Amino acid sequence: MRGLACASRACVAKLDNRQSFKMPSLKFIAAVLALVAPGLAWAQGAPNGDTEAGARKTPMCAGCHGIPGWRTAYPEVYGVPKIGGQHSAYIVKALQAYKSGERNHPSMKAIAANLSDQDMADLAAYYGAAPARTASNK
Amino acid sequence: MNKALSTLFAVLALGFGAATSAGAADPSAGQAKVKEVCQACHGLDGNSQTPDYPKLGGQRQDYLAKALRDYKSGARKNPIMAGMAGPLSAEDLDNLAAYHAAQPAVLVAKH
Repeated sequence: MRGLACASRACVAKLDNRQSFKMPSLKFIAAVLALVAPGLAWAQGAPNGDTEAGARKTPMCAGCHGIPGWRTAYPEVYGVPKIGGQHSAYIVKALQAYKSGERNHPSMKAIAANLSDQDMADLAAYYGAAPARTASNK
Repeated sequence: MNKALSTLFAVLALGFGAATSAGAADPSAGQAKVKEVCQACHGLDGNSQTPDYPKLGGQRQDYLAKALRDYKSGARKNPIMAGMAGPLSAEDLDNLAAYHAAQPAVLVAKH
């Protein structure tokens, strides 16, 4: 702005020695990106999860995660994690990691491979919804 | 005969006791580690307030132990958790699993 308002020789000299025109710093660029990026991510649209749609998509999940105390049989024997009440965002992350192969449980990889982003969002919304405390905690 | 039977039971009981106590993890030792390593992200009781970090309170103990072992070994790849679990001993991991499993359960097996 100063540069625009400036017509005198002194000002031109000042512009020449770059006192008034600094390249925006990396910090500034990073700050702008940080402000804009969430908006871009939203515009590209991680789908919103629908709890009721999620409830209809659980048959593949409930056989293990819906049975209190259920244990895996393959490839290792251990208790199947409880997912009711887990953060929805984390459930989506876990499903994506199985789909991408980053996490490698065979059954979960096979199941996640067939889930769309919308499926994942719906399931995460369903399981992430505050659990009834009356459900088994075992 | 009775004596022989009672001796047999005593031996069995001893064996059983030894078998179960051998792998016993110590939740209170786990808590000391939690304060150093886990709390910042997962919270003191494991029930993280941050959506990206899973809640652990009341999670299945053997699942937690397996997850921690996998992070340490690299079988499960996560740059953050590899850094956390890597330096810990196998005993530490078992204690952490025992501690988190013993916290008030927010998680449930939901049908």
